[in-house]
Amino acid sequence: MTLIFKQLFNFLKMLNSDTGHNQLAAGLACGLILGFAPFFSLQTALVLILIFVFRIQMGAAFLAAFFFKFVAYLMDPVSHEIGKSVLENSSLRDMFVEMYNMPIMPFTRFNNSIIMGSLVLSIILAPIMFFVFRAMIIKYRILVVDRFKSTKAWKAFKATSIYNWYTKYDSLYG
Amino acid sequence: MSDLKTAPAIEKPKKRKGPIRWEAIVPAAIIIVLIGLYFKLFFDANMRSLAEFVGYQATGAEVNVHQLETSFMNASIKIGGIEITNPEKPTHNNLNIGEIRFSLLWDALLRMKFVINEAAIENISFDQPRKTPGKVKPPEPEKESALKKEAEKLKDEALESAKTKYDDNVFGNIANMMTGSSGEGEMSKLESKLVSKEKMKAFETALKQKQKDWEERLKKLPKPSEFQALGDRLKKVKSSGFSKPEEVQQSISEVQAIMAEGQKKIDEVNATKSDFDKDLKVTDEGLKDIRAQIEQDIKDLQAHFKIPKIDAKSIAMTLFKRYTNPYLAKINHYKGLFYKYAPPNIVDKNDKPEVKIQPRIREKGTTYEFGKLNAYPTFWLKKALISSKLNSSDPNSKAGNLKGEITDVTTNQLVTGKPTIASITGDFPSEKIEGIDFKLKFDNRTKDAIISSTFAVRSFVISAKEIMNTPDIAMSFASAVGGVNSNIELKNYKDLSLKITNQFKDVDYLVTAKNKDMEGILVNVFKEARTTSMVAEGKGTLPNFGLDITSDLGERIQHGFEKEINAKIEELKKKIKDYVDAEINKQKEQIEKQVNELRSKAEGELKKVQEQAENQKKLADTKINEAKHDIENRLNAEKTKAQAEANRRVEEERQKVEAEKKKAEKKAEEEAKKQAEKLKKQLGF
Repeated sequence: MTLIFKQLFNFLKMLNSDTGHNQLAAGLACGLILGFAPFFSLQTALVLILIFVFRIQMGAAFLAAFFFKFVAYLMDPVSHEIGKSVLENSSLRDMFVEMYNMPIMPFTRFNNSIIMGSLVLSIILAPIMFFVFRAMIIKYRILVVDRFKSTKAWKAFKATSIYNWYTKYDSLYG
Repeated sequence: MSDLKTAPAIEKPKKRKGPIRWEAIVPAAIIIVLIGLYFKLFFDANMRSLAEFVGYQATGAEVNVHQLETSFMNASIKIGGIEITNPEKPTHNNLNIGEIRFSLLWDALLRMKFVINEAAIENISFDQPRKTPGKVKPPEPEKESALKKEAEKLKDEALESAKTKYDDNVFGNIANMMTGSSGEGEMSKLESKLVSKEKMKAFETALKQKQKDWEERLKKLPKPSEFQALGDRLKKVKSSGFSKPEEVQQSISEVQAIMAEGQKKIDEVNATKSDFDKDLKVTDEGLKDIRAQIEQDIKDLQAHFKIPKIDAKSIAMTLFKRYTNPYLAKINHYKGLFYKYAPPNIVDKNDKPEVKIQPRIREKGTTYEFGKLNAYPTFWLKKALISSKLNSSDPNSKAGNLKGEITDVTTNQLVTGKPTIASITGDFPSEKIEGIDFKLKFDNRTKDAIISSTFAVRSFVISAKEIMNTPDIAMSFASAVGGVNSNIELKNYKDLSLKITNQFKDVDYLVTAKNKDMEGILVNVFKEARTTSMVAEGKGTLPNFGLDITSDLGERIQHGFEKEINAKIEELKKKIKDYVDAEINKQKEQIEKQVNELRSKAEGELKKVQEQAENQKKLADTKINEAKHDIENRLNAEKTKAQAEANRRVEEERQKVEAEKKKAEKKAEEEAKKQAEKLKKQLGF
């Protein structure tokens, strides 16, 4: 739990800093995939490995996963229809038969209409949303963070010893 | 130097981090190693404790698992030394299993399928003494769910039905009959028991009240004189010889007013008639009810005098009730469980579960199976071996020699193409049970899923098995050798048919009866019944299922007693019928007479009034029609006259015009001639 909270604080800190917009956007896009996929599935494991191995912001990923779980829940009927049409497509049938009977692949649980629909949706949406999130983060930093940093209240707070202590602590223990 | 002290420390430029988290490798590796160590060192012990805890909670008594080994590499599990304590006798185990072992195929596991090539359950034994008494779970206050209650109710109902249906002490009743007590003196005391008599009293009172009410109502009906008066008024209305159309209109209005008045009275009569019909229907129902009650009273009296049914079936049911009741209780127990856990599409559960407010359940979607022949189904236990061998060195051992196998337990028989088959054979020499043969086949490949099973025991020893123990009679098998053959078939998880045949050989009976004549008859019957059989048969759609028991012993006893007491039974039955007839039939006839009287009187009156009303209505209609015809005739005559006059005038005018025309033509001709003459003269012709 502490780790999750730490990651969430890191996410907020990074969001309000000047760097790492790609990490944040990638984290949010991965969170989208996590949110749409069932917890016990191969795709979830793969995305989690990606998040751990590459420098993708974990807090952003977990926060997005939490949010997109609800979106996926509302999208279930749509996902079901998409998944159904994909799985019932006769031209793909041989491929699905092979996939179903080959090792590892069944762990994706692709043969369920909702999971297949969610997978298709998340694969299409993830790259689009990466760029959308990236643009939004940059816009946020200009419109909100910079303006806030130029306020007198922030400048006054920056001059206090509390802030100095915090920055010292942050630089030492991050 | 001082400059050096005051100068700000130069911050080292932060090393730019690459896209891969290299620093996470060590912690991740440590975690993986720790998990591996846990599974290697502690997992088996923890699983063993968990199995013991779950077993204790589930069975309510101590469960011991002496050994549990798992292997990740082989995907196998081995459980040894399972002991399940008997909660009713904690010094003994209900079941001992020497070893259970199986391993899953990694090839299938990688495909998310669970395939077991061979499983083994070895050294099964029952009722073995424990080294130390097992711990027994104290009973908990039971929280009964609606479904559990329903299942229990079903079970109780079935047991109660069996109890009430066959709890009649047939032999006690036979003994009573044989002593000759016909109950003649008692008959008069039973007057108060005749429910039909009470019913008839109440019915008669209600009928009298009804008669009174109807008389009142009939009095209030429109009198014939009223209809006559309406008729007289109608007769006076002018229906011919009208001189003006206004007169016709006036007559029609007058007739219509009289008709409306008459219709009101007719409606009143019709409503009364309809009410009367309804009332009569209720009265007829009441009479029907009384007749049924009389029949019931006769049956109740027969039961009161304990008139026995001397038929083989009842005797067999009574004889083997004690013998079959434990089995019936078991069937009902499983029937209850089936009803409790079977999905609603298999069993019609009338009681719908309480609907609670809950969030929308996440949709499950449709799961497709892209199976192909010879692929793995989701679960497949290819073969399970069961064995138990008697330890000959232990003379008290209650273990038996059992050998069996279960093949092709799977979630999809269509993929494996094989039905599930189980077979167990063996014997328990210490219990003198020989030739156990159990076979089960579960075939779900066809449209109708069929579970069929046969169970046979070649021989088992019966000693001092009590069949019946009542104040009148005690009966038991002193010794016998039994054999069982049973066939069970369950079609579509619903239609159950069952047949159990029990053969008893070398039977020695012990019979004692209060009535010595009866004892004599029974001893004679049983002397010749050293070999007998009992067949329990049942067929039904679950959860409704009942057992029917027949036995040749029943037939033998029936023949033994028939001659003795049949005449007495018939005599008593006749007496009861005569008594009921004498007590009730007179009253019944009287009531029926009263009902008929009421019917004919009221119906007659109503019919009379209705007829009169209808006659007056017809008269009114005739009057109106007459008036209409009259005015129509007059109008037609006037019309014809006017038409003729018009035609005549038109003809006259035509002739006049014609004459004038001719005259003008003649004049023009003459003028022309004159002009021609004049012109001739002028031209000099």
